[in-house]
Amino acid sequence: MFRPYRRASQFAVFLLMFGIPLLNLWEIYAITGTFYAINIGGLGIADPSAILQSMFAAGQFAPPILFSVFFPVLFAFLFGRVWCGWMCPYHVISDGVAWARGKVRGMIGGSSEPETWVFLDPFKANVTRYSFLLLGTAAAGIMGIPVLNYVNAPGILSAEAMILVRNLTISIEMGFIAIVLLVELLFLPRFWCRLFCPTGAVVSLFRAPFTLRVVSASNKPGSPCCKEEQCSAACPMGLAPYREGGNLLCTNCARCIDACRGEKGAGLLGFRGFQD
Amino acid sequence: MIDEFIGFFRRVFAHGENPFSRDYIHNRMRPPGAAPEQSFMALCIRCNRCLEVCPFGSITRAGLGPTIGTPYVLAERKACYLCMACTRLCPTNALESSLRNPEQARMGKAVINTSICYSHLFADRDALPRDAGARIGALCNTCYNVCPLQDKAIMLQGNLFPIVLDECVGCGICVERCPTRPKRAINVVPTGMGRPDESGFYFRKARKHFDVSRKTVAGDQSGVLKGDDLMDAKERIDGSGGAPKFTFPYEVDKGLKDWE
Repeated sequence: MFRPYRRASQFAVFLLMFGIPLLNLWEIYAITGTFYAINIGGLGIADPSAILQSMFAAGQFAPPILFSVFFPVLFAFLFGRVWCGWMCPYHVISDGVAWARGKVRGMIGGSSEPETWVFLDPFKANVTRYSFLLLGTAAAGIMGIPVLNYVNAPGILSAEAMILVRNLTISIEMGFIAIVLLVELLFLPRFWCRLFCPTGAVVSLFRAPFTLRVVSASNKPGSPCCKEEQCSAACPMGLAPYREGGNLLCTNCARCIDACRGEKGAGLLGFRGFQD
Repeated sequence: MIDEFIGFFRRVFAHGENPFSRDYIHNRMRPPGAAPEQSFMALCIRCNRCLEVCPFGSITRAGLGPTIGTPYVLAERKACYLCMACTRLCPTNALESSLRNPEQARMGKAVINTSICYSHLFADRDALPRDAGARIGALCNTCYNVCPLQDKAIMLQGNLFPIVLDECVGCGICVERCPTRPKRAINVVPTGMGRPDESGFYFRKARKHFDVSRKTVAGDQSGVLKGDDLMDAKERIDGSGGAPKFTFPYEVDKGLKDWE
């Protein structure tokens, strides 16, 4: 079961979001920053999508800037889009909203089964989010400001957490998060992570043959191995994990692996990647 | 309306002005080491690390608008104390990360409004006019006393009233402490905010002040005394040689009794 580990990782990062400004208030500066850009013991790490925006907007390259995306890119090459599924503070709230949506549906309609309906198939979802990223980057180049940072959900959350800890206020940017969460609750579950998030789009670009991904051990990996398709029902990104483990949308959240009961009680799905 | 639009497009496309970088406002500066406003808006990714690391809480986030989330120093609320902790943390060089020397920060230039400044009013008129709205009728010189670059960025002209010199970095401490209300007598004009004409004007003015200051320091008798020189001069004040003679410019009323 991967679920307890994933939840532990998500909540740890969520608490870290409040912990960093708290540590800084106590004048411990070993770790500073927000999820736009963070500094761990002198090592600068920045959000690749923010850096991409900034480079296009300013029209200049600087070696320290490029070095700050080295670790996120290396991490993505090894583990895939793990930032989204296992760490992102917005994603864990989105998980909570999807859970609440299931509860509400159970109360209204009587059906508390997980939703199988997904808006746009995986290919169209990918086209949507990369079009959004390209348009946003082009707009940043034209307008001369990193515009996609206005809608960078993990960055906004982390900045808001920081000013909440420091000044006990939140700013107007929290309204954006509230609107997106409301839409997710009422109309389109997980639409932000699937269709728009620029950070997720950039992070999932870095894929190699050795990148960690979900693989089916079934002898017919192209077709569903059981009638129930629990893996597809569990996938928050609307994928069919038995054949689409390598899709750019996959966050390696391992829900499908936990859900898979296989043909004879033994799970067929598992991780395959650089460790083999 | 149409003229405004045409002017806007001309500024943006013919002059290459960034429509999303806002015009300057007095006492609202970027943190030290900031790139000129246009490139600052391009480089800043709003990570707020400068804000987080500032030990004085000087940096605030901009509110709703194109600059939302970017850092500002609002001098009237809390000035920059030039610890230079923020510059080394900036991940995109929007704040020049190699800048360590606070004297090389160029956040703005302080400008004294001589029609409000207590010291200037006092030096000009020997007393505060009633309509000045001021409660203090004295040589205040708070700006001079709190300046971290005392006698480099600001000096007392003839030991009486403050003038801002060329080395002013625009930290805004003088603005924060200036006692006049509701308007401050000293204000910081931020640099790099896309008003080259204005900044040039203030630069020339500062240059003039600087030349004046050099002249007065060079003339040894009437110059500004500091530290040991000032103490020496004070020690040489001698009251034993008889009272100095004053010429009294008024007619004395002969009817007054006991008038010396």
